[in-house]
Amino acid sequence: MRSTHSRQANHALATALAALLVAPCAARAQSAGTYEVTPELIAAAEKEGKVVWYTSADTEVVERLANDFHAKYPKIEVSTERSGAERNFQRINQEYGSDLHVVDIYEASDAVQFPIFKRAGWLAKSLPAEVVKLWPKNGVDPDGEFATARANLSVIAYNTKFIKPADAPTSLASLLDPKWRGKMVKAHPGYSGTIMTATYVISHALGWDYFEKLGHQRVMQVQSSSDPPKKLALGERPVMADGNEYNIHILAEKGVPVVPVYAPEGTPFVPGNAAILKDAPHPNAAKLYFAYIYSLEGQQGLSDVGGLRSLHPGVKEKAGRVPLSQIKLLESDPVALEKEIETIKQKYEQYFGT
Amino acid sequence: MAPESSAALAAPARGFDAFRPLAGLLIAVLAALVALPFFWLCWYALTDAKGAFTTANFIALATDPTMTKPFVLALAMAACVSALSCAIAAPLAWLVARTDMPGRGAVRALVMASYVTPPFLGAVAWEFLAAPNSGLINQAWRWAFDLDPFDALVDIYTFEGLVFVIACYTFPYVFTLVATALDRVPTDLEEASAILGARGARTLSRVTMPLVLPALLAGALIAFLQALTMFGSPAILAMPAGFHVITTKIWSLFQYPPRLGLAAAASFPLLIITILLLRGQAWLLGRGNYAVVGGKSGRARPTKLGAWRWPAAGFAGIVLGLTVALPYLALLKTALTSEVAGPLTLDSLTLHNFHFVLFELSSTRLALRNTFLLGFGAATIGVVIALAAAWLVARGKSRLTGALGFLAMAPVAIPGVVLGVALFLSYSRPPLQLYGTLWILLIAFLTIEMPAGYQQFASALRGLHPELEEASRILGASRLTVLRQITAPLLRANIVAAWCFIFIGAIRELSATILLTTSNTKLVSVIIYDLNESGDLGAISVLGILLLVITFAVVAVANRLPVLGGPPQARG
Amino acid sequence: MSFVEIAGLTKRYGALTVVDNVSLSIEKGSLICLLGPSGCGKTTTLRLVAGFAEPDQGEIRVGGRAISTPKSSLPPERRGMSMIFQNYALWPHMSVFENVAYGLRLRKIPADDLNKRVGAILDATKLSALARRHPGELSGGQQQRVALARALVVEPEILLLDEPLSNLDANLREEMRFEIRRLHDQFRFTSLYVTHDQTEAMTAADVVVVMNQGRVEQTASPSEIYRRPATGFVARFLGGTNLFEGARSGADAVDCGEGLVLRCAGGAYAAAGPTSVSIRPHDIKLSEAATGESVNSARGTVARQTYLGSHRDYLIELAGGRQVRVVAPTEIDIAAGRGVWLYLPPAACWALER
Repeated sequence: MRSTHSRQANHALATALAALLVAPCAARAQSAGTYEVTPELIAAAEKEGKVVWYTSADTEVVERLANDFHAKYPKIEVSTERSGAERNFQRINQEYGSDLHVVDIYEASDAVQFPIFKRAGWLAKSLPAEVVKLWPKNGVDPDGEFATARANLSVIAYNTKFIKPADAPTSLASLLDPKWRGKMVKAHPGYSGTIMTATYVISHALGWDYFEKLGHQRVMQVQSSSDPPKKLALGERPVMADGNEYNIHILAEKGVPVVPVYAPEGTPFVPGNAAILKDAPHPNAAKLYFAYIYSLEGQQGLSDVGGLRSLHPGVKEKAGRVPLSQIKLLESDPVALEKEIETIKQKYEQYFGT
Repeated sequence: MAPESSAALAAPARGFDAFRPLAGLLIAVLAALVALPFFWLCWYALTDAKGAFTTANFIALATDPTMTKPFVLALAMAACVSALSCAIAAPLAWLVARTDMPGRGAVRALVMASYVTPPFLGAVAWEFLAAPNSGLINQAWRWAFDLDPFDALVDIYTFEGLVFVIACYTFPYVFTLVATALDRVPTDLEEASAILGARGARTLSRVTMPLVLPALLAGALIAFLQALTMFGSPAILAMPAGFHVITTKIWSLFQYPPRLGLAAAASFPLLIITILLLRGQAWLLGRGNYAVVGGKSGRARPTKLGAWRWPAAGFAGIVLGLTVALPYLALLKTALTSEVAGPLTLDSLTLHNFHFVLFELSSTRLALRNTFLLGFGAATIGVVIALAAAWLVARGKSRLTGALGFLAMAPVAIPGVVLGVALFLSYSRPPLQLYGTLWILLIAFLTIEMPAGYQQFASALRGLHPELEEASRILGASRLTVLRQITAPLLRANIVAAWCFIFIGAIRELSATILLTTSNTKLVSVIIYDLNESGDLGAISVLGILLLVITFAVVAVANRLPVLGGPPQARG
Repeated sequence: MSFVEIAGLTKRYGALTVVDNVSLSIEKGSLICLLGPSGCGKTTTLRLVAGFAEPDQGEIRVGGRAISTPKSSLPPERRGMSMIFQNYALWPHMSVFENVAYGLRLRKIPADDLNKRVGAILDATKLSALARRHPGELSGGQQQRVALARALVVEPEILLLDEPLSNLDANLREEMRFEIRRLHDQFRFTSLYVTHDQTEAMTAADVVVVMNQGRVEQTASPSEIYRRPATGFVARFLGGTNLFEGARSGADAVDCGEGLVLRCAGGAYAAAGPTSVSIRPHDIKLSEAATGESVNSARGTVARQTYLGSHRDYLIELAGGRQVRVVAPTEIDIAAGRGVWLYLPPAACWALER
């Protein structure tokens, strides 16, 4: 398990705090790519009038973010292309393969993609000064080409309308109990970057054996990691084997009886990176929107409305959510993960049929 | 009118006859539409990353169980869909065409309406209805019999569920073919049998059925093909059920790291099966010509159902309820409520979903615009090309026009997903870099719908006596003038039908478009697919309802437009 | 030189020669009938003249100008002809008026002139009251008149008629035969009329061209064709005949064997090989008493007798098994099986070398 290190997340917070303290002297990547939001930038962005981004976060969350931005800068339209991280990846590959540069900002829950883009030379060295200054080290690309715009956890969850807390699953291992046969829903690593990461870290933490057994549980298979929480809320399945924590937050805060479970084996931590593309058709609007995503306002919104975890030290988490510091996280190594994608997809199809 | 005045009326002045250049252009366009994708498909299937020849893709195709299993499942599914479609459609067609069942006309119209429903939308609607736990039918079932949660009557996320949902949207093909054949069975044949003392049932089984059997088998083949090459419904229902069919498998090969070669190779068995089945169909229909002789017999005398009238109407009602009414109601309910699975009460009524789709979802308006722009464009251009091609083939004499017929029909053998692959491979590179524009979608729609349009006109032209056109030519009209002034107006009904057919086809197409859309060229079908992927069911329902309402409106208007001499009037 | 000259016209479809070296001359203002059984090539000849098909050999000249050769062919729309079709080919989406006006519109005739011309031809064809109707609302005869009017209104150089009466019932056909002849006498368009009905040809035509297997058998006036057929085929096709095969004996007689020698009024005798003698059934005299003539007389037995109201139709078997059809007045009533004498007047006997 060289590439996977699980650790308490106060570690992460500590890092963040440390970063905050040492930021001025760290001076890392404080290079040409770092920019501030200046009136000139705003003017240039408004002249372009449009920004296009691909994102894999939940539809309502990203549309809200985009609408808030549009409300702040009414002269700039945000065109949001929301799809699974792997769909968007496929799409951008098709487009760049055809020399088609329509997208300004790329955001995905699949961390693997960013080193690939970086190698391909598609990303701009461009980060808001705020990120360079405030983000913990493992949240920013050392070369300043991308940074973590949001963090997400893939959690177990259940619907209290059907399951009493006492009967609820408590761990990943407990999901293999025959009583959950036909009662679970999970998302697909081939479509969801979050689940790809989660599958990777869990297969390393528990072995493929775990998935082979889970495959016998007649799990309802959906694609995006946003979907299992919705199927849970719908009552279609009472238990979610994996899926977005943030959707559970959003639903729970709306009064839907869903509760997340943080497994003792660990909870997959999935950084959602974002980057500006080098050949962005609207470079200034891209910078402005990009900065907005990482700003305290944007990040607080993602946290409050979107239920996402933020690396911005100023973001205050809503009451009632389990703080990151109390969750055992399973972190991944994107470079090592990339080499295993084929294996993961193949094994997954073998165990789950798709 | 004295003979001396003859000199005053010379033949019309010589005008430029654009016939030949246009015929050449048409052949070039169709050849490009068909040949280019075929070429790249073969190229990718047979070369490796370095461009060297390889058979590795085909070997993988034949040996990799993750490839062979989806094939087997798809074939099994298609066979079941075909059988189920026939089982529903044949009795319904007979009731509608040959009996005094109440509400026959309405049934016919509603079956056509179910054709308008995009299959993927139907699949989503059936998720609302028959998901094992949240499905409305299952909830009602538990409520009615006071059962435990998770006791399900029906489960749509199964092989059987998928077969049922696809059959709901393929049976109109069988229905139409069989009903048309029944309309044409000469009454005198049936009457001859009746006079000879055969009872109704015997006449039906001995005389009527054999006569419509070719149409039924042809319908079964079409249903089989439709199911085999369908992408939307399996993409929505097969994955939760835990299996791939071949179309969803090909689609999954496009995920990172993409295996284009294997995807291209996997297209070939589909192509071959399609070609074989179509040959089979052509053979059947060719043999079945005896079923349509004797046109003068007039309207058939309906069989009196007597006491069975109402059970028959009940059967029709159940079929239409399952295929049209329930799915539409489920969509409506989901669109209007905040909780998909919750009960519909005054409190839960909300316009939130409408607001979200119309005002918050940034891609809605672009997608609606693109969808209808493309629908109109593809339908209009497609009708022109299909009519011109069919006409050239029907009236032309050269070998070249024969090739034209083949080219126009060839896309029928290309399943949508395969075509999506091929078009992507063809038009994402020079010389024609169209990926990312609406043009590639237009080409996709034109290619996919060309055979249907062509066939419509080819058969219509067979029924149109060439003398009608020759009468115009001898009086001084050039071939293009004839086409414009005589042929097109005479085929008005067919033109409107083909236009609507292509328009609806473009609206409901998902299998090719899913690979060809970009953020600027979003279509409603793809948005619905994306929204389903992330579970935004309310938004899907709103978009689906919008799509249906606008489509019905467009079709209704198209049938009343005063083009080409206005709506057909009742003439003796 | 005639107005229309057709020389050596040949048309093949694959191995089949449909029109075989056909040559014709048509005088201006005359009505020529192509007569023959179905498949004799008469319709193809007409379509070659119309321009709906191109010849493989030969040419068509109109007014001295070649309009069709194997190399170049004027398209139908530029030949200044009009045509009446077997199925009328009226356009169901146009009113009677519009159908008739169509050719004039193509010729860009000004509106008032157009109305005048259409009005005149509708009067001439007794259709004025039906001008607003659509073809579907007309009877067969009315439709036929519309087809005539439509063809005549453009004052064609040549009028082509393709089996124009074959779809009418017997009474109407008789009426229309005279109608066509009347309209021809009125307007005197050069006309080429194709029919398989000899009565139609006899009634309408100035000149009849009998065709068989793609070839012209005979071109002559109706009475000439009937009285002096050039070939056995013509004799048989027009009105039926008895043919006696034999060899020339003397200047004007043919020895048919079995003691039957027929003197002929004329015809053509084969120099070597068989010569046939044609005699129409109603020209043969039938009696129970011997005729007393040594030639043109034969003895036979009544094989069958049919009463047909205006006459009796006999089948007589001669010695040697030869059968002869005889039409006799009703007064001559001889029962089957009785012996009879036949007298075949030399004036009615016509020698044929083919």
